[in-house]
Amino acid sequence: MPATQPQPAGAPPKGAAIEAIDLVRTYRTHLGVLRRKKIDVEAVRGVSFAVERGQLFGLLGPNGAGKTTTIKMLITLLLPTSGTARVMGFDVVRDTTEVRKRIGYVFGGDRGLYDRVSGWDNLKYFAELYGVDPALQDQRIAALVEMVGLTPRIKEKVEGFSRGMRQRLHIARGLLHDPEVVFLDEPSIGLDPVGARELRQTVKGLVDAGKTVLLTTHYMFEADALCDRIAVINDGRIVAEGTGADLKSAVANRTIVEIETFGVTPDAVERLRDDSDVVAVNTEERDQSEILLVQSDKGAQITQRLMGLLGDTRIGKVVTREPTLEDAYIDLIARTGSGDEAARAASVSV
Amino acid sequence: MRTLHLVWAVTWFNTKMLLMSEFFVLTTFITPLIFATLAFFLFQLGGGQSGQTLLYAALGSGMMGVWSTTLFGCGGAIAWQRWEGTLELLVNAPTRYDFILAGQTFGAVILGFYGIGTTLLWGVILFGMPLTASFPLLLPFALFCAVLSLGALGMLIATTFVLYRHANALGNLLEYPIWLIAGLLVPLATLPFWVRPLSWVLAPTWGMDAIRGAALGRDIGTPLFAMLMCVVLAVIYYVLSRIALRYVLYKARREATLSLQ
Ligand SMILES: Nc1ncnc2c1ncn2[C@@H]1O[C@H](COP(=O)(O)OP(=O)(O)OP(=O)(O)O)[C@@H](O)[C@H]1O
Ligand SMILES: [Mg+2]
Repeated sequence: MPATQPQPAGAPPKGAAIEAIDLVRTYRTHLGVLRRKKIDVEAVRGVSFAVERGQLFGLLGPNGAGKTTTIKMLITLLLPTSGTARVMGFDVVRDTTEVRKRIGYVFGGDRGLYDRVSGWDNLKYFAELYGVDPALQDQRIAALVEMVGLTPRIKEKVEGFSRGMRQRLHIARGLLHDPEVVFLDEPSIGLDPVGARELRQTVKGLVDAGKTVLLTTHYMFEADALCDRIAVINDGRIVAEGTGADLKSAVANRTIVEIETFGVTPDAVERLRDDSDVVAVNTEERDQSEILLVQSDKGAQITQRLMGLLGDTRIGKVVTREPTLEDAYIDLIARTGSGDEAARAASVSV
Repeated sequence: MRTLHLVWAVTWFNTKMLLMSEFFVLTTFITPLIFATLAFFLFQLGGGQSGQTLLYAALGSGMMGVWSTTLFGCGGAIAWQRWEGTLELLVNAPTRYDFILAGQTFGAVILGFYGIGTTLLWGVILFGMPLTASFPLLLPFALFCAVLSLGALGMLIATTFVLYRHANALGNLLEYPIWLIAGLLVPLATLPFWVRPLSWVLAPTWGMDAIRGAALGRDIGTPLFAMLMCVVLAVIYYVLSRIALRYVLYKARREATLSLQ
């Protein structure tokens, strides 16, 4: 599949909720303690996309791809090294206050709360900082607390909250001022399956209420189920953009053969990779076994040959199935870069 | 109206947070008592145990506590927020950050002045210190001016803490020298002459002068002048911190210094 190029710079669609045009962000850090060598990490290297109002847009990518950095630029927390971005028409560098009034954001993880006071007091404080009318604060907080399912525990100190409870509290915090645009950076991290499903309901509810949502996640099914459009980012660049179906179409005519193996050798995996009918092989570690995910264009008929190539490797269950968004994603990442941290820090400037 | 509500909410919230920290409570309320007690005994040994010297020492000890509180409640609180991950959220709120800083700072400083109160009470109860004031009507105004200038200085300090992750070390470094330079422990006249200009630009110097002058002074001119200096310095600190804050907030966004990761 040709990597779908995003909108050309300089011609953002009218009225988009979020427009990013050629965003670049470089971090400067130091190596070593005594002879501090300066290095530039190019976290985002020219990212452009647009999110229409009322849309749910997913940003997918491996660790270190630049998702959080992109979001931090959009929410005015970081200045772009170059490029521009607008949220609801306001420039994220100059019109910070206008942008901040209109956005809510939630980062995955359990930091960013006042541990020594109750969940309610946390929300009350942020409601004040987010400019919620004092007369409406209590009512608004109570509704949000109910929505994230924290009502019975909200008067307790946050230090006693579990990770998932903290995450829920963050979600309530991000929605206090009824923002028009919501940024969710791995919001389901730390949530149990029921909590994660409730969160997906909540996110759907936000979109139904007319809000624009930008979501990052590592769970493909989550992205597939929720997002109107998805952009895949790798190594600081957008490598594909489109609907879930668009992305899947790249691997649509493929078949995935899942082979459960026990103690498979790297050599055997290489033999599979070298086979002319095999497009890609990925491995998944399980408790006792390793699952080989073999992508090919030839349907189920090559299964026997694959088993032959594995030689005397002990084999368990073998399943042939249709590709999912996850397969499309893995294929894309494999083709567009190493996803390797070391590759990124290559630009050493002393 | 909305702004007042905000600053009040910030002050109240952060005061509550500070009171929940054992370290803060110790710094603000207990340390001055220990210093005052030491000073009382030293004065007793020196044979100069008049009511006046006791009061002089008690006010000085109290002010030392105020200074420590200012450093900890302004700078230390910022370091703590960075650690907790809340600093990013505060700075990035749609509210003007200087209002948030002001609420935080004045909350801490005012608590510090409560520390002076407890120190005086301690002196009265344990050492029979007389509570007299040369200019009783002036005293509340002197206190107000001292709070104002220390708060403004606190804001300036807090501003630098927003930028530098390791500013906490600097904060600790500032604690003891200022006690000396501002004349809290010993009269300024006993310090070497070259220290004077330093003393003159520090809020605690004039705050102390104003309070001691109103409580113990012979002429009203000294405390009045000190109060004027407090107000002048407060304005200067405030203007400086506004300028610094613009730069600091810009630089923090450029260099990603607000979070720890
Ligand atoms: N403050 C920083 N200083 C230096 N480098 C940073 C900083 N923040 C992020 N980086 C680097 O920038 C790159 C992109 O990081 P970013 O957090 O945006 O990735 P991500 O896509 O959100 O990854 P993840 O899925 O792990 O959250 C990484 O190589 C990271 O190490
Ligand atoms: Mg991230």
